[in-house]
Amino acid sequence: MQTNRLSPVMPLVGIVAGLALALCQYMIFVYAPVEQTMGIVQKIFYFHMPLAWWSLISFLTVFVASIAFLRTRNWKWDALSGAAAEVGVLFSGLALITGSIWGRHSWGVWWTWDPRLTTTLVMWFVYAGYLVLRTLDLPRERLGTVSAVVGIVAFLDVPLVFLSARLWRSIHPAVFASKGGGLEAEMKTTVIACIVAFGFLWVALTWLRAAQRRMAARIDVLATETTI
Amino acid sequence: MLSAALAIASKDLRLLLSRGTGLVQALLLGLLLIFVFSLSQRVGEVMGPQGAAAIFWLASAFCQVLIFNTLFAIEEANGARFGLLLAPVPVQAVWLGKGIAGFTLLLCAQAVFLPAAIVFLGQTVSPLWHVGLATVLLADVGIVALGALLGALSQGQAARESLLSIVLFPLLVPVLLAGIRVGAAAFADDIPEGVESWLGLVAAFDALFLGAGIVLFPFVYGGEE
Repeated sequence: MQTNRLSPVMPLVGIVAGLALALCQYMIFVYAPVEQTMGIVQKIFYFHMPLAWWSLISFLTVFVASIAFLRTRNWKWDALSGAAAEVGVLFSGLALITGSIWGRHSWGVWWTWDPRLTTTLVMWFVYAGYLVLRTLDLPRERLGTVSAVVGIVAFLDVPLVFLSARLWRSIHPAVFASKGGGLEAEMKTTVIACIVAFGFLWVALTWLRAAQRRMAARIDVLATETTI
Repeated sequence: MLSAALAIASKDLRLLLSRGTGLVQALLLGLLLIFVFSLSQRVGEVMGPQGAAAIFWLASAFCQVLIFNTLFAIEEANGARFGLLLAPVPVQAVWLGKGIAGFTLLLCAQAVFLPAAIVFLGQTVSPLWHVGLATVLLADVGIVALGALLGALSQGQAARESLLSIVLFPLLVPVLLAGIRVGAAAFADDIPEGVESWLGLVAAFDALFLGAGIVLFPFVYGGEE
């Protein structure tokens, strides 16, 4: 028998995420210095990078949960992959918008053939299609299986998309890879704090959506049983 | 498994080609795309080789979606899919068979699209033409491997062509980029980054999705309505 109660830890994670994000605002706008050449626009970076990182984690979660679903046929994995894809599409969409604003300011163009930007855009397309697929009017068993297969195939494509876009052209700044010319200490601390804060937000959102999906499925079953 | 796959492929090809309309819809769509894109140039203007290669691959990608929808629709009537599923062969033979049939049909279509792109888009053939042709063959393997896997999504007619294209096209990006770059080189003999890395990328794509097809196809191709 599945439990229908939400875990008491879940709201707690949400509260921690809220507090951590509030702290991040302070760090971004007060603690971290204004960057010399880019000015205030550079602050976008503190949102852009955590969003991009956590969207990739979302897609990895879809991949792992899809494999787990095909192996175990446990519906909690299906709910998790659906929830992670939703949050991933949201986060990668926001990462694309913030990245585009950044690109306009620093490179003078709204869009450029950068491997990371392109990979994010292609992944956004793939997982947006995946979400459309999940809304199809199919029997639950088939929909779960088909979604899991697309969830696996989509993630297998990520490295190839990245490599192909890199062959095409590259001008993205390698933030942590660069030696010497990287970030100041305060900036680095702020970025790490933002990544952690967005991590809490990611966990809270994904957990909530997965729980909602499980409940929706349960209501569907109850409704069917009542009709019968 | 190979003989079973060949049997399925030849059955599909005979069924489609004997009807006469088998490839016509896909061919017309591709040709129309090439023609419509040729309108983007002013009279007397010549399209850049990369643009022409992109249009060629766009036509191929749309054509491939129609091909796999048709190939998987064959068994939808009269529950013929159950016949295939009950045959004493691994279910992957169906994937391989559909892939081989799709590969053949796609090549036939491209044999029409290529001259059409050269004529309508004002291209020339450079000394690198053989590399371009090899890339077409190599890229088609990956495209049909993925197409035959995801084409089975249209089983039961719940997922239409439009859905297959929005799922499939972004996944094909690596192989399309490679096809476009090498295709542009085949038209204009200009590829500063070299063709080897692109060919390696396409080969990796082929290997990855041939493997994924073998492992995942039994999950998507089943007895459900």
